[in-house]
Amino acid sequence: MFPSFRHAMTWLHTWFGLSLGYVLMVCFFFGALSVFDREIDRWALPDTRFAAQPAPSYDTLLKPVFERLKPHPDDIKATQDRVIGALPDPDTLPMDALYYYRTHRDPVLRIGAEFGIPNKLKSASDEHAHAHGWATIDPRTGAVLSESQFKIGSEFFYPMHYSLNWQWKNIGYWIVALAALSMLVALISGVVMHRKIFREFFTFRPWKTAQRSSLDLHNMAGVAGLPFHFFFAITGLVIFAGWLYFPVSTTLLKPLHDHHEVLEAAHTGLAHEPAGVPAPMASVDAMVLEAKRRWAARDMPGDVGFLYVNHLGDRNGYVSIFRAGNDQVALTGQGVHFEASSGRVIREDPPPSAVMRVNEFLTGLHLQHFRHWLLRWLYVLGGLLGCVCIATGFIFFVEKRKAQHARISSQGSRIVDALAVTAVTGMVIAALTMLVSNRLFPADMVGKDYWQKVVFWGGWALAFVHAALRSAPVAHARINPAWREQCWVLVALAVAAVMLNWLTTGDHLLKTVFTDTYWPVAGVDLSLLASAVLAVAVARLLARRERAQCRAGSDARQPGVLATAEAGHA
Amino acid sequence: MPELAWMLPCIAVLTTLLAFAWLALAMDAHWRQVHGGAVLTPGVRVTLRVLGGAGLIASAVLCFIADRPSMAVLVWLMQLAGAVPLVGLALAWRPRLLRAAWPWSGR
Repeated sequence: MFPSFRHAMTWLHTWFGLSLGYVLMVCFFFGALSVFDREIDRWALPDTRFAAQPAPSYDTLLKPVFERLKPHPDDIKATQDRVIGALPDPDTLPMDALYYYRTHRDPVLRIGAEFGIPNKLKSASDEHAHAHGWATIDPRTGAVLSESQFKIGSEFFYPMHYSLNWQWKNIGYWIVALAALSMLVALISGVVMHRKIFREFFTFRPWKTAQRSSLDLHNMAGVAGLPFHFFFAITGLVIFAGWLYFPVSTTLLKPLHDHHEVLEAAHTGLAHEPAGVPAPMASVDAMVLEAKRRWAARDMPGDVGFLYVNHLGDRNGYVSIFRAGNDQVALTGQGVHFEASSGRVIREDPPPSAVMRVNEFLTGLHLQHFRHWLLRWLYVLGGLLGCVCIATGFIFFVEKRKAQHARISSQGSRIVDALAVTAVTGMVIAALTMLVSNRLFPADMVGKDYWQKVVFWGGWALAFVHAALRSAPVAHARINPAWREQCWVLVALAVAAVMLNWLTTGDHLLKTVFTDTYWPVAGVDLSLLASAVLAVAVARLLARRERAQCRAGSDARQPGVLATAEAGHA
Repeated sequence: MPELAWMLPCIAVLTTLLAFAWLALAMDAHWRQVHGGAVLTPGVRVTLRVLGGAGLIASAVLCFIADRPSMAVLVWLMQLAGAVPLVGLALAWRPRLLRAAWPWSGR
């Protein structure tokens, strides 16, 4: 079928890359933004622009907050579909377990709880007889953030990169998984088909044709980012493998998994089931202090990253406290477990096994909750290198074929180019429209979160329509002006976002950088301005190229010029 | 020392950039971009390659001194990923910048 293995790999690379490259652009771009998701949250929620907070007191601040926490209406709706009969009034459901999770970048605190339900479950394999509640609070006061205070970074951009925010039957996760697998295939096939990996390691020739220079950039970004792209594709798959892609613990190996849970509970002393005997709760703050003392004694002082209370109000209740992984790749660790009723230490986790260490490393390196700003920025660079690699792949595909397609009147290049514009500049425009709408819509607007999403998808759809409508020149082997025009839209939106942030909050760059330094907001503003500057440079470059193409086209149409050229050639 | 915590990664980044600049200069095409028509002699080529290799090892050592091993390996690999395009872009638009890494053209 193919004359050689290299030809087969070229086919694979081209068509896998083209078909799933659009999804990969989303993964890499929003993945890169997710490195600073909490900072984008701060930009979008001016009320939360204060310093990251230490873990608050449970006894004095969190306890009353948890007492007020109720099951979330969305989860009640989803739980109702899983159970037989009508659920009782959600306000009457007893809280069985609670948790909070925090990182060194969080001014606000995410809390959650599980509520027991008396109903029988429809599916025999479903053993999760709980409804869930969650909230985000100000850990200084315990005030709950309203639902409309939508965290654009961590609740929209971040899930976008692994689920496309398409939750129906988890289809977004599956599409992203397919794209991640294709990424691995594209990386391996790309290495096979690239003849001069070392000789052209640093080669980028912008003065050559668009086809040649885009291939140079594609190769450079692909080779330089190879370890990053490979590890992020594979760790992204590993993170979801256990519960979504290969849920063997709830299907094929469920009996073994259930048996293991019981044995593990017996081994660790952390009760698997409640005793059914009510018991009061000892001071959780004292337990936190004891956990911190033990971490310090192991020469690894730190703050709480994850706190979990199970079998709440029961004699078998226990409190698990995990150290925040600010200084390590693993998200959390060094768990200390207490008997909830007495505060007695039940267990201190031993160092993890080799397998667990590998697992923690692989998930931790992807989810990156560590405090290492250089590495975080290098991750952004890695994500953007992925975007460059894919975008230049699209451009190379179009440049290689558009002259031939123009000759045979094929629309193939035109369609691919319009989709590429949508996936590159269109995607950035969509993200920027969301930020602009965030500043334009009033803070107390009903359904503000919903309308920001509408603006995002609407902005992206408009970018596609524009790219398609302006794509006619591609059918004549010329540049689609939509690239340049969308660059200018991008510039306008990025500058508008910075200006609107200033006007609506008073947080201009002089303030956030110099007089009242607040790097999360300053960083977002500076990144927006840097994007605008880059977009201006690209737009001007494209304008020059378009003018050159027009000149070349009009010269070619003048018989006198052609005759002179031919005479000269002869 | 807190200063050291900042300085070591910065020195590691600069070392990585320098190492890749040397490795790029060890190639004829890039040598010509930076030093014009001057000939890259075999002796200089070997020296540049050795310096480049040593520079990458040195940057790895600096990363491992600055951070615990699990973190250091990530920082080092990501530095490599970031430094290659920077050297490539410098060669494309400002090739003379790389003369700072090896000012002697041998003419």
